[in-house]
Amino acid sequence: MSNRFDRLHPLVSFCYFAGSITLLLAMLHPLFLGAAFVAVLAVTFIYDHGGNLRKWTVFIVISGLFIAILNPVFNERGRHVLFVAYNHRFSLEAILIGGMNALSLMSIIALFVTYNEVMTPNKLLFLFSKIFPQFAVLLMLTLRFIPLMRRRLEEISAVQASKGIYVTDGKLRDRVKNGMLYVQVLLTYSLEEAIQTADSMKARKYGTGRRTSYEYFIFTKTDLAALFYLLILFGTVLYGRIKGLGYLNVYPLMEPLSLSPQEGVTFVLFLLFFIFPFVVEVGGRIRWRL
Amino acid sequence: MAFIELNHVSFTYPDASDPALKDVSLKVERGEFVTLFGASGSGKSTLLRLLKKEIQPHGELTGKITINGLHQNENDGNEEQIGFVFQDPENQVVADRVLHELAFGLENLALPVGEMRSRIAEMVHYFGAEALLNRRTEELSGGKKQQMNLASVLLMQPDLLLLDEPTSQLDPVSSRELLDMLVRLNEEFGMTIIIAEHRLEEVSALSDKMVLMDHGSVAMDADAKSVMRQIWNSPKRLYVPSIPSLYLSSMNQDGEYTRDIPLTVKEGKKWFNQICIQQNKEESRVNHRSGKVLLQAEHLFLKYGKKSDWVIENLNFSLEKGDIYALLGGNGSGKSTLFKAICGIVTPESGRMYYKENRVKGSKNKELIQSIGYLPQNPKLFFLHDTVEKEIEATMERWSLHDRWEVELLLEELGISHLVNRHPYDLSGGELQKAALACLLLRKPEILLLDEPTKGLDPVSKKNLANLLLKLRTEGMTILMSTHDLEFAAQYSTICGMMFHGQITSEDVPERFFKGNFFYTTMIQRLFRGSSLHSILTLEEAVRSCAPGE
Repeated sequence: MSNRFDRLHPLVSFCYFAGSITLLLAMLHPLFLGAAFVAVLAVTFIYDHGGNLRKWTVFIVISGLFIAILNPVFNERGRHVLFVAYNHRFSLEAILIGGMNALSLMSIIALFVTYNEVMTPNKLLFLFSKIFPQFAVLLMLTLRFIPLMRRRLEEISAVQASKGIYVTDGKLRDRVKNGMLYVQVLLTYSLEEAIQTADSMKARKYGTGRRTSYEYFIFTKTDLAALFYLLILFGTVLYGRIKGLGYLNVYPLMEPLSLSPQEGVTFVLFLLFFIFPFVVEVGGRIRWRL
Repeated sequence: MAFIELNHVSFTYPDASDPALKDVSLKVERGEFVTLFGASGSGKSTLLRLLKKEIQPHGELTGKITINGLHQNENDGNEEQIGFVFQDPENQVVADRVLHELAFGLENLALPVGEMRSRIAEMVHYFGAEALLNRRTEELSGGKKQQMNLASVLLMQPDLLLLDEPTSQLDPVSSRELLDMLVRLNEEFGMTIIIAEHRLEEVSALSDKMVLMDHGSVAMDADAKSVMRQIWNSPKRLYVPSIPSLYLSSMNQDGEYTRDIPLTVKEGKKWFNQICIQQNKEESRVNHRSGKVLLQAEHLFLKYGKKSDWVIENLNFSLEKGDIYALLGGNGSGKSTLFKAICGIVTPESGRMYYKENRVKGSKNKELIQSIGYLPQNPKLFFLHDTVEKEIEATMERWSLHDRWEVELLLEELGISHLVNRHPYDLSGGELQKAALACLLLRKPEILLLDEPTKGLDPVSKKNLANLLLKLRTEGMTILMSTHDLEFAAQYSTICGMMFHGQITSEDVPERFFKGNFFYTTMIQRLFRGSSLHSILTLEEAVRSCAPGE
């Protein structure tokens, strides 16, 4: 599949992800959330190149189940008691709320899998270097230093093991003591080396004035149209939400699940927001054919 | 007026009793290739750093530094672009991707995106590094990293390039590549280059001017050939590279130099063909191996991650008692990993290891750890405590040693007894190495594993290290070291091995080992290649076996 969504301006992709998460948190209706979950899974499935979804599946399912089960266990409120076990009333309302929260959480996690694929560090750098140039450098340094520190710690423990000093073996007290020493060495060593990094940054004129960023994405007409599409849908759905649409009142009295005509329209717009990546891909294909 | 002028420059670091630079006066013309050399701590780095205002060290500076006729402090904004490449390839890197690293300097100059892109496109093409652009910087080998650092500096279009021992961490092929790059920049663009170096074998032929630093002052400042002649008759003789050394030592008997001193293999051969060689009886070095196998590895396989490539692949290796085994090979060929496998720090996926004919099982084998002393490539990581003294005490406690007198004796012998109260990081490279060695030798290992012990050492420290190793060997120590210093390996090892692609692809006594190699061989061997004296490797052998006739 050609990856037109990936090639959109970072601002547009960022709006999609930020908007999706906001809507997932704002809406509380089984139909809305269920539809969003299916849409997000489909999007993730298509953009997941590295098989990351499979890695995350267990985590998504477990955290979903966790929320879905915990709510009825701790919450007895509700008029529709389904059954009583161990003196505990399990109500339909509690299960429904647990299920909705689980759906919204699972969708958010699945969305982050796509987010990691699409919002690469250079796109983030581009977005933020305009607003906070220093933040971009900080992000870049962090991206480099986390793996570097991890490698150094491995190196230190290897060298120390050759001297017969371990953190994995021996008395607990010695192990803790050695572990502290390792971290101390890691910090001293890294600070020492960081002086050289700082010199190399200064030697390349860092901090002398305004910075620009190499990352460059052109904001095209397609991007503008896409941004309008997202903003209009997002605005309308959020307006509906403020008016009480897409929100299922459970307490004190549970509303029927069925959608009113107004709510039905909001539902369609809501879904259109979530399937935005498909709209982009399909739109691209149609233009090709014509 | 010269491009760069230093007039009576002195510099003292804060809290230092002696000045780091004493009354240095130096002139460098535009387009010159200048080499600074001299012992560690003789002021080379300080001098280089003073030339670049952004990284000038704090301290008291007297005298006048002018660059392009302008005093250093008055040319704000309109100053000459100066690029600086540091010694350690790793620590200069700022970004996680090669492309971002290259763009870093340009971003700091606030260049418009279009210009940045065209400059980078051009430079990447010049370096032939298209394939590396999207790689993570940490995946690159040391040599590639240093080239990337050079490229990143060159993108800022400097007129003057300063390099502080840029090749000290690189393997012979990578350092040759880097030097070639510098020659091209110097010759094709007339870029002024000042480089500080210890290994003069290759840079001496490239330099227009060589400057010997000694205790903070300029001891010599002339073209390469006359510098060679001058230092040959001074206590600094060790600095002279092997080909000029051979020439000078053979000429010394006559006392007159009829020709220019040859610096390159090419010039050396020309000289060599004109004189008759009276070939002394070829005393080939006998195989010194004892035949007693101390350590043996069979069919070792090792890799770091499930999906990664083999770092060590079907490797067979044996170390005999009394060997000084020099392991050569490029950056990233698996030498360090092999060392770690031998000490039992990393466990091979399969294969067997024997120590004194007993199978070594599992990691953390107490006997093995006690009998192998491992000096890591970076001795800083060796020290857990904040003074050398505390580290020694911890070692004594760990290995239940009580003989304090013996410790004092060892420290005295290594010449570091005055340093025991210092923080390890305040020591120079050579001193740090000795301090770590002291901690290793305390527990009386049978085998010493030295990972790149010659890295960054000046010729004098290197000579000291060699003497120490030879002495340990006579006391019954077996030594396995990896090195990029081919002259060192040829001169002092008893057997050499070449590591390539996770295997030891060839292994032989030095004279046969180096004979067939093209890059991995000594200057003297290159000189004698194709002649009747082709088994000569080192300067000493050459001086001994060829006496020039009439």
